[in-house]
Amino acid sequence: MSVAQIPVRLALTLMLLFAARPSRAQDFAGAGPRGPGGALELLEHALPAAQSSLTAAAATTRWWGMRELETRALALGAGWRTVLVAAGLSQTGAPELGWTTLALAAGGATRTAGAALRVATRQDRDVPWSATRALAPGMGVDLGAGAWLEPVAGWRVWASAPQVVAYGGTRPLERPLEVGVRAGRGTGGWCTLRAPRAHDDGERSLGVCVAVAPLAAWAEVRDGPLRGAAGVHAGAGPIALGVRVDAHPVLGETVRVELSWSSGRGSGP
Amino acid sequence: MTALATLFAAALSCAPASHPIVTEVLYDATGDDTGHEYIELWNPDPATVSLHGLRIEAGDGGGPGRWTLRWTGGPADSLRPRSRFVIGGVNVSPRPDAVVSLELQNGPDAVRLVWPDGATEVVGWGVHDFAEYSCGEPAADVPSGFSLARIPDAAANGSNAADFRAAEPSPGSPNLRAVDAALLKGRSALEPERPEPGSPATLSLSLVNAGYTAWGLDDGALHVTSELLTAPVAIPTPPMAPGETLRVSVPLPALFEGRGALAIRVRLVGDETPGNDHDTLKVRCGPGPLTLTEIQFHPASGEGEWIEVRNRSGVPLALDAFRVGDRSGAAGRVDAGPPLAPESLAVLAQDPAAMLLARPALDPVRVRRVTPWAALNNADDATGVADQVVITESDGVPVERVAYSSAGLAAGVTLELNDGSWRPSAAPGGTPLAPPRVLPPAPGGFRAAPRRVSAAGETVNFAWELPWSNARVTLELYDLEGHRTRRLAGPVDSSARGERPVLLESLAPGIYLAVLRAESDEGSFTRVTPLRVEGGAR
Repeated sequence: MSVAQIPVRLALTLMLLFAARPSRAQDFAGAGPRGPGGALELLEHALPAAQSSLTAAAATTRWWGMRELETRALALGAGWRTVLVAAGLSQTGAPELGWTTLALAAGGATRTAGAALRVATRQDRDVPWSATRALAPGMGVDLGAGAWLEPVAGWRVWASAPQVVAYGGTRPLERPLEVGVRAGRGTGGWCTLRAPRAHDDGERSLGVCVAVAPLAAWAEVRDGPLRGAAGVHAGAGPIALGVRVDAHPVLGETVRVELSWSSGRGSGP
Repeated sequence: MTALATLFAAALSCAPASHPIVTEVLYDATGDDTGHEYIELWNPDPATVSLHGLRIEAGDGGGPGRWTLRWTGGPADSLRPRSRFVIGGVNVSPRPDAVVSLELQNGPDAVRLVWPDGATEVVGWGVHDFAEYSCGEPAADVPSGFSLARIPDAAANGSNAADFRAAEPSPGSPNLRAVDAALLKGRSALEPERPEPGSPATLSLSLVNAGYTAWGLDDGALHVTSELLTAPVAIPTPPMAPGETLRVSVPLPALFEGRGALAIRVRLVGDETPGNDHDTLKVRCGPGPLTLTEIQFHPASGEGEWIEVRNRSGVPLALDAFRVGDRSGAAGRVDAGPPLAPESLAVLAQDPAAMLLARPALDPVRVRRVTPWAALNNADDATGVADQVVITESDGVPVERVAYSSAGLAAGVTLELNDGSWRPSAAPGGTPLAPPRVLPPAPGGFRAAPRRVSAAGETVNFAWELPWSNARVTLELYDLEGHRTRRLAGPVDSSARGERPVLLESLAPGIYLAVLRAESDEGSFTRVTPLRVEGGAR
């Protein structure tokens, strides 16, 4: 098959994939598995959900059991026809180490494809926060993009580069471009591949999810070093609750809890 | 002997008939050869032979015709029937019949006897390119401390190689005796080298049956006497075959504290050579006057290697009365200077000028040069030991011997004696002329300071406090998602409290988790503390 025969949407996705630079973000990580999702996913990975609706989500993460390294995030999302927007505020870490993040994201999605842009600005917690300082020199600013498509019903591929452009020194993590594929909308499996960074050779993950409405449970393994994560997701009407635990052989456990509301049908894990 | 046998022997002999022959040559004594070299002649005939006019020449095998005169026999020099005549240096014992400095080379070289009647005998050793320096194949070069001896004394097999071999020096005595027990000098040792007062020790020695007859269990005894022993110790000698050498252990009861000598003697019925029956070992029981307190074997600041010692004797000590070295021996002399006060520290250095340049605050009076400095090894051998630091008194009495391992030690980190154990110093570059640094407690078991550093490179001081007295410690760095970014240090030995400055550089901005992992016989211990690396615009 020649390059000219590749579907246009797939070509755009690949162009985005190869143009993206290693990126960093970890302010709005939710409790679900990888892939397009709600407002938190739109802010964190620039991956919009397939349905447009009003959404709100709150999440908290305690990194490796350390009280002085917690992230608390609040996100709001809205959609009209194929257009989605989201805004979020998060705070990470004790004042000595941490920062506050304000993020905005906008994109579009149909039932078979979606793409978005995100921007986030960070400011140290040990200085008073101010919206006017959000773009001041010295603040950390990220600009990222993501896209997904469903070339075959039930199969979804995505690429996320949350920080294609970044400046300023306030960043929680260096996280390069990630691509993934998922089979199945509820029960199914997925795998992801993340580009290498200066100190590693990338990361690979493999996950599986079993969904029996309104509950879903999932598990994922990652390498470098080998570690795992597991989570559950429960929905009751417009309200959903998710919990995710990451286990590490040296560092211990990271626990994430996410509470979300959606005016439409929840996207689920 | 029949006429035919005599004729056959004469044809095989390297020595002229009816002349005394060379029976032993010592050309490479242990250490400095000066005054220790000798040549032994033996007269096998039943008549006295005059040595008047005999010339002894030394040959330099480096080129043809290089013979130089070393000694000429005078009118009074003669050799009685079946007796020996030794020509040698002033330090040869028993005193030679003719005292002369022979200055023999270590090979390939030779000695030549030139008799007034023109007869000659050549004894060569080493690998020669010129035939004039040996009779037939030259003898094999012998190790330092051994003599080249004709064995048996009348051997005449047609070449130096067949007639001569290495042997314990025996000037004036037969090279092969019927009954002879010998102690190899300088091979005796005490285990432990410096026993605790009141504790038993084991003396080991090398016993040789230098005769050509075997002896049994009750034929002899080993005797040890010393001012450090309450009573002499004696054990029977083990049965030994001719030519056999055995390492014999002699259990010693509790020793008195102090320095002294163990006089060792083997007594064998019918022993023909009493001169090789004894050895002396200088020993110390209990601690010496100096204590080794710090070792710098891999300096990183150009100050050269050094050690630190403490005067524990209670009286001022002249440091030039001590010798310093490595496991090959303590040969380094300490520069003279004012006595070291009781409980004071001194630095014995390879290069005091460089040491004072690197650390100008040090008291120069207490930084002394050691010459020659025995370079201390930086890498462990197969046994896990890099080297030993050895201190003796000038007469050889042991003071200190400390074996160390370099495993897990970064360049520049010293080993310090701290609470009776050797530990990596908590201070960068060590604490010369100062006691070990006492570390403050580390709340939570592990802390880092500062916790916010620049991505351009900044040093973070990691400190820890373990629940055990010692452990192996590793420092690692992970990113926020749990990827191991790099190993920062270790594994290194650590006492209950430890500290390690680490330069963090070439790190991307972000949150990192510094991890302390400690392993001991009693368990493992892991602590995590976060760090933040800040960077500029990208």
